[in-house]
Amino acid sequence: MKQRALNQCMEISGDPYGYLKKWKQNNNKKIISCFAMNIPEEIIHAAGLLPVIAWRSNESVSIGHSRVASFNCGLTRSFIDDVLKEKLNFLDGVVINRMCLQAQGIPFILEQNTKWANIIYMSLPALYDSDCIHDFFKSELDRLIIAMEKCSGNKITTEKIINSIEIYNHNRKLLSDIYEIRRNNIGIISAREILSIVHSSMIMPKEENNKLLLEVIEELNLKVAEGNPKSGIPVVIYGSLCQTPHPELLDLIENIGMVVVDDDIFIGSRYFVNSLNVSDNPIESMANRYFSHIPPCPTKGDYKSNWSAYISDIMNKNKAKAVITLMIKYCPPHMCAYPDDQITFEKKGIPEIMLEVEHEIISLEQVRTRLQSFVEIIGGI
Amino acid sequence: MSEYKLNRLETTKLIGNIVDKHWASLRHAKENGEKVAWCSGPVFAFPYAMDMKCHFMAGYSSYAGGRGAAQQLLEIAEEDGELIDSCSYHKLHMGMAAAMRKNIPVRKDVILPLPDLLISGRLCPEMSHYAEGLYRKMGVRVTGVDVPPPHQKSEIKYFEKYVERQIRESLIPALEDVCGKPFNYDRLTEILITLKETAILRNECWEYLKLKPSPWTLWDYGVSIAPVFYLMGSPEAVPYYNKLKAELADRAAKKIAALEPEKSRVYWDGWLPWAFLGKFSRIMCKLGMVPLVGRYPWEFFPHPETIDTEGDPVVSFVKQVYSNGGQAKDNMPSLNLPVIQNWIEDYNIDGLIMFSSKSCRMWNLGHNDFIAAIERQNGIPGVVIEGDMVDTRMNSFAQIETRLEALAEMIEARKG
Repeated sequence: MKQRALNQCMEISGDPYGYLKKWKQNNNKKIISCFAMNIPEEIIHAAGLLPVIAWRSNESVSIGHSRVASFNCGLTRSFIDDVLKEKLNFLDGVVINRMCLQAQGIPFILEQNTKWANIIYMSLPALYDSDCIHDFFKSELDRLIIAMEKCSGNKITTEKIINSIEIYNHNRKLLSDIYEIRRNNIGIISAREILSIVHSSMIMPKEENNKLLLEVIEELNLKVAEGNPKSGIPVVIYGSLCQTPHPELLDLIENIGMVVVDDDIFIGSRYFVNSLNVSDNPIESMANRYFSHIPPCPTKGDYKSNWSAYISDIMNKNKAKAVITLMIKYCPPHMCAYPDDQITFEKKGIPEIMLEVEHEIISLEQVRTRLQSFVEIIGGI
Repeated sequence: MSEYKLNRLETTKLIGNIVDKHWASLRHAKENGEKVAWCSGPVFAFPYAMDMKCHFMAGYSSYAGGRGAAQQLLEIAEEDGELIDSCSYHKLHMGMAAAMRKNIPVRKDVILPLPDLLISGRLCPEMSHYAEGLYRKMGVRVTGVDVPPPHQKSEIKYFEKYVERQIRESLIPALEDVCGKPFNYDRLTEILITLKETAILRNECWEYLKLKPSPWTLWDYGVSIAPVFYLMGSPEAVPYYNKLKAELADRAAKKIAALEPEKSRVYWDGWLPWAFLGKFSRIMCKLGMVPLVGRYPWEFFPHPETIDTEGDPVVSFVKQVYSNGGQAKDNMPSLNLPVIQNWIEDYNIDGLIMFSSKSCRMWNLGHNDFIAAIERQNGIPGVVIEGDMVDTRMNSFAQIETRLEALAEMIEARKG
């Protein structure tokens, strides 16, 4: 079957370094890395810059451990490792959000080890009940606007932000459509392929990615017409905040009798759910999205959020039979939230298994054994 | 037998009873009809001003660690589903909550009463996770104060206004609601007056750490932090520091050193290892190494002369967290490096120990860059040691000892 567009997504996801270097040569525009979640990319885009989400490197951390201890998450360690190996020299800066202590500590290391002129740190607030929290969020966005205007030399107007929101919303809609196709045609596309599609959106300019996603949708529709989807016990994966899960792990899940029907991971639906309202006040729209509790996010200090209920809803929507938690090792927000989610899953009778995921390749054979047992428990092969 | 002799202070022996009294008063608050808050971050002065009995997250954790109760609470938490790599302060509280919920007997002196209000002071994001976990487990009302650390000087005033507004718009109304009475601004001022007097005395004590040899150590100051922090405003605070200052003056006059002979003087970065101060002290004594100054212990109101006791106490308090030093400003490495480089000179420091907690990343990232930058400018060596403040399982003392021995050798080699 023809899958040119899907293959392109997988190529870009597999080598974002090569893609972005080439893109920069061809377009002569600045590239800004976003570390990592909840950064309002539309503002960076409106400045005429290319925002790209920081990714986990494609090799083991080596020199990076001279600056970051091994008991930090894979994204933090591999990002610093890439910086020290000068693999990210094509970047013109980074915008970091205070989502955890590791993100809080990164700017200093970058200041000491890069020549980037733009190391922007945002302190996006906790979701506490107060008008001043909302006002502070908006003033943080104002600061980002000033920083991005300085970085690009371009004025960011309201019209430009609205235009960027429309482009980004279109991207969200297309990704959402792809998920809907999978939902209605379980097994038509693998979890690894879905991962690369979302990841391509995090790397490419949204205008180009939108065209590519339209092609992906066409290809998927052809595949649906051909039939013969992969079968298995429908499961939902969730967790994996900030960090790309191992594609090999996703393959393993789908090769032993399960099929991923939906997810709540960052390089997944968490990236695109909840579009922005297009209004005359785009900053207000961004605030409404940030404070909407969708998806629930343990990095936002949101004590009222109910992540397990959100996952239950995703499961019901997809008629999934079980949930697989992908826990990034040394991810404090998820580590602290997980115990209560686990208890809730148990109370609701939802079969759940937690897989701890490292940047370095995990022992897949051990995971295979655990997953095989899990499949037996939930009534599979 | 060691060639080094440790001379213990008499005054620091008093602190145990003072902190025991504080935690006992919290434990018995409900019996006395008093309201109780649990608080993370630096805003516990506000419930104190309402005559509430208030817990402080890191203070409780250090107390439980110092009293040898931490391991049991950590294990209770893990049996209740918490993960081993979570922040140990967070996990201690989840352990306490599980013990309360399941009636698991724990050491009497570390039992906490169920709070009427959870205050989530979000100086570090993990501090909010603790309130989230407790809210889910206990259903207690939460009020939050986001306390972002600045990365640049230009952010300080901006964050100050933000925190001040949250205190006025969220924290104070919540306290008034829980207590059923108006906020007591006069009492907050009284607390600040006592704090100012205590911290000025403490700063006078700090001056003795600059003497060579020093009559006291960072460990002595570590056990004396409570009166300038979570015991702020208490009647014991000023007498404690007056007594400490007198003892240090006496030692200085008699040229009595904390460690005899004082072979090397070191800077300590990161949390203090509360449950293991004795173990670290023994290792360092064997090497003739004296810890004298550190970023974390210095964050508690380092410029008390700037505490304004005449004006608005809310503004005055927030300025102590930001403009005039304090917790928010002092844990940001970008703003700290020049401060530490000055301390190297002021305190005659020979080497750096960067204590990298495996369960808390508040201070860790940047440790190696600190060492590199300070080595470049000041020419002194440093080591990173890994461990935990309260969790025994995360400290390998054999490895720690080897690294400290290596530091001692490097210091000796540089001194020639």
